[in-house]
Amino acid sequence: MIKITDLEKYYATEEVRTIALNKLSFNVKEGEFVAIMGPSGCGKSTLLNILGLLDDPDGGSFIFNDIEVSGFNERKRAELRKHNIGFVFQSFNLIDELTVFENVELPLIYTGVKAAERKERVEAVLEKMQIMHRRKHFPQQLSGGQQQRVAVARAVVNNPKLILADEPTGNLDSSNGNEVMALLTELNEAGTTIIMVTHSEHDAKYSHRIIRMLDGQKVTENILMEAP
Amino acid sequence: MIRNYFKIAWRNIRANKLFTVLNIAGLAIGICVCIILFSFVNTELSFDKMYSNSDDIYRVNMETSEEYNFETWATMPNAVGPALEQDIPQIKRMARLIKDDFGATASLKIGDKNFTENNLYLADSSVFKMFDFEFLQGNVETAFSKPKSVVLSQTTKKRLFGNQEAMGQLITVNNHDTLEVSGIYADLPKISVMDFNMVYNIMDSWMGTNVYWSNASYETFVQLEPNANIPEIENQASALIDKYVDKEDQYFTKFLLQPLTKIHLYSAEVREGYSTKLGSITTIKSLLFLSLLVLFIACINYMNLATANSRKRAKSIGMNKVLGASRRHMLSLFYVETGIMVFLSIVIGYAISFLILPLFRSITGNELGYQDLLAAPILIGLLIIWILVTLIAGSYPAISMSSISPLILVNKSKTKGAASELVRKGLVVFQFAASIVLIIAVTVILQQMSFIKNKNLGYDPSGIVAVSVSSAETGQQIQSLIKSLERQVAVESVSAVQSMPGANESGRAVLKLATDNTGMPIASCRTDGNIVQTLKLNVLAGTELPETITEGDSIIYTLINEKILNYLGYQTPDEAIGKIIHTELGPRALITGVVENFNFNSLKEDIGGYMYYKSRRAPEGIRTLLVRYNSQNLSQFMEQLQSTFNEALPNTAFDYQFLDRHVAQLYASEERTARTATIFSALAIFIACLGLFGLAAFTAEQRRKEIGVRKVLGATVTGITQLLSKDFLKLVLVAFVIAAPVAYWLMHKWLLDFAYRTEITWWVFVFAGLAALLIALLTVSFQAIKAAVANPVKSLRTE
Repeated sequence: MIKITDLEKYYATEEVRTIALNKLSFNVKEGEFVAIMGPSGCGKSTLLNILGLLDDPDGGSFIFNDIEVSGFNERKRAELRKHNIGFVFQSFNLIDELTVFENVELPLIYTGVKAAERKERVEAVLEKMQIMHRRKHFPQQLSGGQQQRVAVARAVVNNPKLILADEPTGNLDSSNGNEVMALLTELNEAGTTIIMVTHSEHDAKYSHRIIRMLDGQKVTENILMEAP
Repeated sequence: MIRNYFKIAWRNIRANKLFTVLNIAGLAIGICVCIILFSFVNTELSFDKMYSNSDDIYRVNMETSEEYNFETWATMPNAVGPALEQDIPQIKRMARLIKDDFGATASLKIGDKNFTENNLYLADSSVFKMFDFEFLQGNVETAFSKPKSVVLSQTTKKRLFGNQEAMGQLITVNNHDTLEVSGIYADLPKISVMDFNMVYNIMDSWMGTNVYWSNASYETFVQLEPNANIPEIENQASALIDKYVDKEDQYFTKFLLQPLTKIHLYSAEVREGYSTKLGSITTIKSLLFLSLLVLFIACINYMNLATANSRKRAKSIGMNKVLGASRRHMLSLFYVETGIMVFLSIVIGYAISFLILPLFRSITGNELGYQDLLAAPILIGLLIIWILVTLIAGSYPAISMSSISPLILVNKSKTKGAASELVRKGLVVFQFAASIVLIIAVTVILQQMSFIKNKNLGYDPSGIVAVSVSSAETGQQIQSLIKSLERQVAVESVSAVQSMPGANESGRAVLKLATDNTGMPIASCRTDGNIVQTLKLNVLAGTELPETITEGDSIIYTLINEKILNYLGYQTPDEAIGKIIHTELGPRALITGVVENFNFNSLKEDIGGYMYYKSRRAPEGIRTLLVRYNSQNLSQFMEQLQSTFNEALPNTAFDYQFLDRHVAQLYASEERTARTATIFSALAIFIACLGLFGLAAFTAEQRRKEIGVRKVLGATVTGITQLLSKDFLKLVLVAFVIAAPVAYWLMHKWLLDFAYRTEITWWVFVFAGLAALLIALLTVSFQAIKAAVANPVKSLRTE
């Protein structure tokens, strides 16, 4: 599903040029659950941004679903992104002005789903995440765990092929964290590919494979179990 | 999708209360100002468009010769109209009109009641057809079918006759003509320069029948055939001058056609017209400019506050984009939000405009009504305002915020803080520069007004009441009135004159040599003496005019001002005394005295030549008594004056005017400009402050963490307040540097309108600068102090 080869990304300020990704290569198969680990500043987040089609690499190749996407402009990336990728962030990033229902509904609006179908699908996914009873609340009225469940619901409502999770448990206590990890595992078992950036060895153990990075390069790769 | 935009936009509007209130307040005030001014402009622009022949009616104006400084006059000899009608085929009909007694207030007598009337016209009967007169009683055909007939407007009929039958009643005008009411017509539209209250047939008077090419006192209107060729008619008309007037008598050289619909606004340069209902296109333009400026300042508030707010919203914009929103989606969202905000402001502004309309009327003295606010062009105007303001105010926030990258969520986006910061600062500078220009402008205008009020005019207009005696039946009556007035304790002196200064003098010429063809145009005014004492003129040489002239003395005694003295070339005033002066008055005119120049006209004009004369055989009559009084109890004095008047002139209406009020009237339009400008500046500054207040709040919010750190490190409250205020004050200084030269240039130009003007002094600028600084400081320091005294622990703990 994902094939990156010699991926490069630089950040330049006036004085220094920092290499964020240094000829990074790896593949992710469909249905896989991959954890990416490494110290702060090793390039994990940069990698996730590129994989999530939020950012464009400075060099190398990125093939997503057999399409070379490096060099795509923002419009094309956005088009591809909204149909294929869901995001889960450490800080949830729910929109404060929208209710739980509306937050989850938003991706469907942008992909042009009709109102009746939207309602059906949002309710189904809220049911699945067990937050249906909170659908009329605003994010500030929810606990952290509930907020992250909403964020996950929003990430999956479009049935994306790929979910990118950036420290999904970083702002949660361990029981809420475990719940979220269980949710992700469940989604993965249902066929969604997941790439997760994490600092937590505990969370990483839920994955099939751990890629460890340092200074923009891959250092090791541990396979924990065979992907289906 | 659209519903969703509305939902999000509405919630955003409600979530940011301060932001919303500041924006709506600013925009609503701006829009309210615009609505009222648009209505005003709309009525001004609709003048005289309602007549069925509006497009084909023109007023004939004439351009004078060099001797009269190439002025354009609206009045001309009574021979012009008939000649035009006869000689130029494209002219369908013409109508001459003249105010009774050349514009002096007429005294009407009906039964034993006396009335005054300012708008009694003599006109050709063709005016009825030309201006769509709608007769309620009588008709166009019979109106002037009998000699000495007069028609009245409905309102005038009510005033003169109440509910009684008016048709067939007799009205005696100025104690010499008795007219019979032959028709009542519906009042002419308010938005018309045509202000006839009463019309009688010009052909009943020598003014219509005795046709001549000399005295220019008649306004002449023509109705052209449809699609007439204007330049051609003007040429044909001007050619008539050579045809009918001897070369040496041609003091006018050209006839020009002024469209009826342009008379109201475009007659600033046209002299001598009779209508009092004149506006000014310059006023309209400056009001429009000012109202748009106020609205633009309100738009700037919106841009500033919205972009300042963008940091708070960046996350949600980024998330929307992650979820698939395109830039277009976000643009639409912001425009919808702006649209809602502007809509609310329009509703509120529109409502306020109804509430403050009476205030506007009392300030500007105009007659705008509620129905004018409901006129179709205003409603269309509101729609246009809505769209325009949404696009302008929404543009910068929408463009800058919709371009926020989704990477903002992962802190990897390069923030465009510096650029938007600069734009924001630029906008604040613009707002304050505009405000400072307005402060300076208002100060200079007020200074000039007080300069005018306090300027020594060369005579003293206060304490003088001018009583009209133009309708006295006999000279005897006037003499007995003067005698009984002079006996009163409260009366200091009485001077019988042809005209009060600057009203109805006769235009004459003073020649250096009796054989000269051209001379200096002057104003001459007949008096029976006592004028120096009454007006408190300054005599430079010679004496007051003689008190009595013996029977058989044919000398014309004159009192001239320095202007004439200088023209005649005397070295000293004394030299001129006893010399002969050549005027059209006759060969035996002597200079009795020389007075210091005095401002008989408005201070906008330079002083011209002025001459008082006294003679046993004066061509002009006595029309006014100038009565200088000295009384603590004015109302008692006026009562006494009226009863004395009624005793002496029992058949004449008591009509008077205070001379100082007449002088003040000359500056009425400047007075209005001053008041309007003051209000606009106050509003502009207030709106700018609303914006600054909001901006300061956001800056303080943005720098909360920095302030926290500084306080932990030992910064004092004063230090922090200074830190936060300093940045804004710098902007005010920049604004001042931009505003000062602009204001200087503008006001210098404005002052050029006045022949007598105040200096623009440096302290005006210092005052305006300090005022702006102080206002900004007050606005900003509130927020700065609030931020400075906040507990740093709170701001540091939350990230």
